Amino acid sequence: MASIRFRSPRSRDSWADLDRLQRDMMRSFDRLGMGPGPARGAPFPPVNLYETTQGYVLTAEIPGVKSEDLEVSVEAERVTIGGKRAIEYASDGSTSLHRRERQAGVFRRAFNLPEPADPEKTEAVCRHGILMVRLPKAESHQPRHISVRAS
Amino acid sequence: MSNQNPNREIETREKQEVEREKTRPGIVFRPDVDIVEQTGEFLVVADLPGVDDQHVNVRLENGLLSIHADLAVEPEPEWQPIYDEYRVGSYYREFALSDQIDVNEIKAAMKNGVLELHLPKAEKHRPRSIEVKAG
Repeated sequence: MASIRFRSPRSRDSWADLDRLQRDMMRSFDRLGMGPGPARGAPFPPVNLYETTQGYVLTAEIPGVKSEDLEVSVEAERVTIGGKRAIEYASDGSTSLHRRERQAGVFRRAFNLPEPADPEKTEAVCRHGILMVRLPKAESHQPRHISVRAS
Repeated sequence: MSNQNPNREIETREKQEVEREKTRPGIVFRPDVDIVEQTGEFLVVADLPGVDDQHVNVRLENGLLSIHADLAVEPEPEWQPIYDEYRVGSYYREFALSDQIDVNEIKAAMKNGVLELHLPKAEKHRPRSIEVKAG
């Protein structure tokens, strides 16, 4: 399982822009069927990560996955999501599949956040096929307001 | 019917943008679907992550069945994207409907971001077993 290291937006620079440009180009090539090597899908589920004032929000598209079949774990900056997606159609002997685009199976992915999250305060919700994990930053990494006293 | 191996690793396919639907702002994607034929009905199952039952519109017009859906779960505007593997937008897909379908009996349900459309076959198209009598 490959682990993905996120870059903080604060460190976003021309390299990050280049990275984004390359990814966009690869996407275009893929769409044209010009991707490098044998066509292979990206890992499931696709994930987006956002930074908020308190920490991070990780979202994943997991249509048809029940919340009891999902597993989310957080340890400092490492977030792991795993689970299974079952697709079963009742069979009555004359059942036939005219089209199959949806995939069933198991998945597991790991990500490294730019800064550690607080596992105690992390919340995961699954709604309408979207997993949303709210990861507040660990206390020591929260921006702190320091009041200045007059001497 | 052989179902897929439940233990294989799932892959994600790049979302396919719909080219023709340009009447609304924003990106429109083509959802993945399964179409299953059973004795009494056709079942159309579409992946619509982020969509609830209030945001999906199923229409039937001139023999064309269309699914149009908007997001109920969206990223909030103040979130700063750091890393993105998928884009968000609405969904559109259409199917030419067989004349075997009893259009008055079509039923739809949304669950966990998946739309299930039950399209019952008209009575005359259902298989029937005919009793053979001895002469």
